[in-house]
Amino acid sequence: MLPPEWAQREAIRAQLSGLFSRWGYRGVEVPALEYASAHHPQDAVAFKLIDSGGQVLSLRSEFTTAVGRLVRTRYPHGPFPLRLQYSGRLWLRALNSELGRLREFNQLGVELIGVETARSDAELLHLAAAALREVGVGAALEVGYPGFVDAVLEDAGLHGAARAALHDAIDRKSGADVDLLCGQFGLGGDTRRTLHALTDLYGGPEVLDAAQGLARGTRAQEAVAHLRRVAALYAGPLLFDLGVSRRYDYYTGLTFRAYAPGLNQPVLGGGRYALEGGLPGAGFALGLERLMRALAGDLPPEPELVLALDLAAADAARAQGLHAELAWTDDRTELRAFSTARGIHRWASSQGGTLTFQPATEVTQ
Amino acid sequence: MTPAPTRDPGHLTLALPKGRILEDAIALLSQAGLPLTMPEKSRALRHEFPGVTVLELRNQDVPVYVDLGVADAGIVGKDVLIESGRTVYEPVDLKFAGCRLSLIREVGADGDIARIGTKYPRAARAYLNARGIPAEIVKLSGNIELACLTGLADAVVDLVQTGSTLRANNLEEVDVLFHSTARLVVNRAALKTRRERLRPLIERLRELTSQ
Repeated sequence: MLPPEWAQREAIRAQLSGLFSRWGYRGVEVPALEYASAHHPQDAVAFKLIDSGGQVLSLRSEFTTAVGRLVRTRYPHGPFPLRLQYSGRLWLRALNSELGRLREFNQLGVELIGVETARSDAELLHLAAAALREVGVGAALEVGYPGFVDAVLEDAGLHGAARAALHDAIDRKSGADVDLLCGQFGLGGDTRRTLHALTDLYGGPEVLDAAQGLARGTRAQEAVAHLRRVAALYAGPLLFDLGVSRRYDYYTGLTFRAYAPGLNQPVLGGGRYALEGGLPGAGFALGLERLMRALAGDLPPEPELVLALDLAAADAARAQGLHAELAWTDDRTELRAFSTARGIHRWASSQGGTLTFQPATEVTQ
Repeated sequence: MTPAPTRDPGHLTLALPKGRILEDAIALLSQAGLPLTMPEKSRALRHEFPGVTVLELRNQDVPVYVDLGVADAGIVGKDVLIESGRTVYEPVDLKFAGCRLSLIREVGADGDIARIGTKYPRAARAYLNARGIPAEIVKLSGNIELACLTGLADAVVDLVQTGSTLRANNLEEVDVLFHSTARLVVNRAALKTRRERLRPLIERLRELTSQ
């Protein structure tokens, strides 16, 4: 990563962490090296290392689990809701370093822990929208509810391997696979029509009405009612996809993501989950590399860089909001060559205690 | 990388496999209302039509282009899709290019299967794991049947269309892993951000392919 990209990434990071702070989310840092655990939700895709004692370690593959551990040990009694933010690097071994899918990447996110209300879900949607506005990415927010699919499958009398296989087919919106599985498990008529309807349950607010029509049991109905409460509290435009069922066993409530126009990868994702020990939590994270792709070329304006011929001039220039590099020699020819190469247009000096500028190209013998 | 021309929000980029499927795919998509025609024989790999760009790819690459979002949608065989392991939406079974992926052995062979030759290592691994057969898998690139006949492998996992190649080589299908047809595949974000174009296309393709 070279200076222009670094400047853009760190500007985005600063904008977002500033926003999160203004919303009351305090920063924490968690270790990049963790003890490997089969219970970690991303254990299968985390890089593994072995320390000198033979202990297997994982490179951090997501933040939520580690932040949850920190909350359990340091804030077991809150005060809740606990609002935390984090930022840093993650590593995944199962992804090739392909376009938009990096095995080393930067994330920034928040967790809202200890409460489980429609208002706290709506707060996260508001904050997600504010975060995207803050960095100038015009993205659409889409809400899902993996437990809704699970509840509909439960109402259809599906359990075990059959339910898992149908979750997968529905999540891929594969009507053909739904048919194949219905044939295998002897499902017909209404059930088959309902499962097909799940693969088409995406779009605007009309989706909630369609979902209500499919909700037989109280669990499915409660999911739709909850989404209606959250949508009413949010009051902004939302997309819905109630066929999303990825990681349905991890998320305990709604999930959401943001799509930026022209970028076929989500720039933000999050949802509601239960921490180890049962404490409710919800949060979201933004991928810094993806935000940079969504913003491609829209670099933040940087202050002018000047070359200061003495320390007092550098201080004075910086006090005016300029960036100043210090001259390291009195050799004007060398300084001019450097200024040209570096794109510096003005030199600053402080003869007699006042800051004066001269063009970097001017011949001053 | 040559940057793609700046596109309207509604512009579609489609990934289609070169060769036989391309003709059927273009015919079906133009029936569904997209302004596509079969490209002239040329060395061009990217074909521009009003509001649609077609990328002509090896079929194994179609799921990659769609999953990573370079293409919004594409058409590819279910066999290739399963083998790719990519998570893309597959909303329409286009019901052409039908075939099946089968376990094939020499006629009468009944010994243990210790080694399998295939172009489909992922599908073969899933099949063997489900049955608890600890066989080694050898990835091959073509004329898979030969692996059986020469003793390179005890069985092969390969596509069968009519079965005539098998009969001509004294081979038989022992089991069918799955049946495959061409699928419309769609990038997970594109289905949402370009739904004004993709949803009607999906509806139309469903009408055209439901007999």
